[in-house]
Amino acid sequence: MELEEMQEVWSQLSGQLEKQKKLTDKMIIMMTQEKYRSRLNKIAYPEMIGTVICYGVGIFILININKLDNWYTLLSGIISAIVLFVLPVLSLRSINKMRNVNIATNSYKETLLEYAKGKKQFQNGMKLGYYFGFVLMFTIMPVTTKLLNNKDLFEGTKSIWPFVIAIPLAITFFIVFSKWVFKHYITNINSAQSLIEELEETEQ
Amino acid sequence: MSKEYEFTRVIKDNEGVIFKITTIYTDNSEDQKDLYQEIVYQLWKAYDSFKGNSKISTWMYRVALNTAITRLKKEKRRGNRVGIDKIVMQQTDHHDAEFEERLKMLYAHIQGLNELEKGLMLLLLEGKKYEEIAIITGLSPSNVGTRISRVKHKLKTQIVKK
Repeated sequence: MELEEMQEVWSQLSGQLEKQKKLTDKMIIMMTQEKYRSRLNKIAYPEMIGTVICYGVGIFILININKLDNWYTLLSGIISAIVLFVLPVLSLRSINKMRNVNIATNSYKETLLEYAKGKKQFQNGMKLGYYFGFVLMFTIMPVTTKLLNNKDLFEGTKSIWPFVIAIPLAITFFIVFSKWVFKHYITNINSAQSLIEELEETEQ
Repeated sequence: MSKEYEFTRVIKDNEGVIFKITTIYTDNSEDQKDLYQEIVYQLWKAYDSFKGNSKISTWMYRVALNTAITRLKKEKRRGNRVGIDKIVMQQTDHHDAEFEERLKMLYAHIQGLNELEKGLMLLLLEGKKYEEIAIITGLSPSNVGTRISRVKHKLKTQIVKK
């Protein structure tokens, strides 16, 4: 399909749409009263609930940090708390950025640039979130065992075999998992990056 | 004349334009309805800030396109996309199989473009001059010209490939 043909189809479409006006005053006024914020909040709800849970657990660890009485549970506790506090920031930051785009005054290029940057940031955040989540999966175990049951995960286990099997398995899983995460996000990040470069090129 | 009356008149005058923008930036009828509503809402919210320095249609294209991009961002997080066939079929009241087929082809070509090119293509098809496209997009008029040449070239390549 040549451009001229496209223009012809488009103008035919415009003509048909012009003839079949469907909106009434009432419909338009109703649309202006739709609560946009609440709709955006629906998107943000899971993130907010996640944040409350993460911060709750993080604070619980910090309050009870003195009960983590040996170096490895203490180290696991500190790492877990850091991950729990950092993870929500990554996703909430990208939602906040999305909210702050000035639709009324920005040009298409400015919005697109913010969109592409936000997308890249979001994808990077997700990627990082997966890695952090993986770390958390391991560090949280000795901490919860200690804080909830007052038991040492390592001393309480009599045989070393569960660890001998679990550690190589975990490493293998982590390598496979990392490759998958990288492959999954790299295309999206690259396409956002090329759009940013293209838009920045227009400024030169 | 009340603000509501003026606004409803602007929307009614441009309902076809909003419809076409929503078709390009969504690919199922539910998202399209949502985007339509959101564009009207954002236009209403921004209506007071319209100072009359540019044409009302220029301002409207800008707000509508900006809304479409930010909406796209939210939609993409949810996933689950459906083909454009369904929307195209509901495009007009008078079903003309040949016309709808051509329309489907046109949308398929536009979907192959990136977001910047998509916006430029839409404005070009709407018959906008380079100067007005420049005001809406924030690019310089010469840059608009260069970009549009690239889009034309890209479309030709798409056609050859098909």
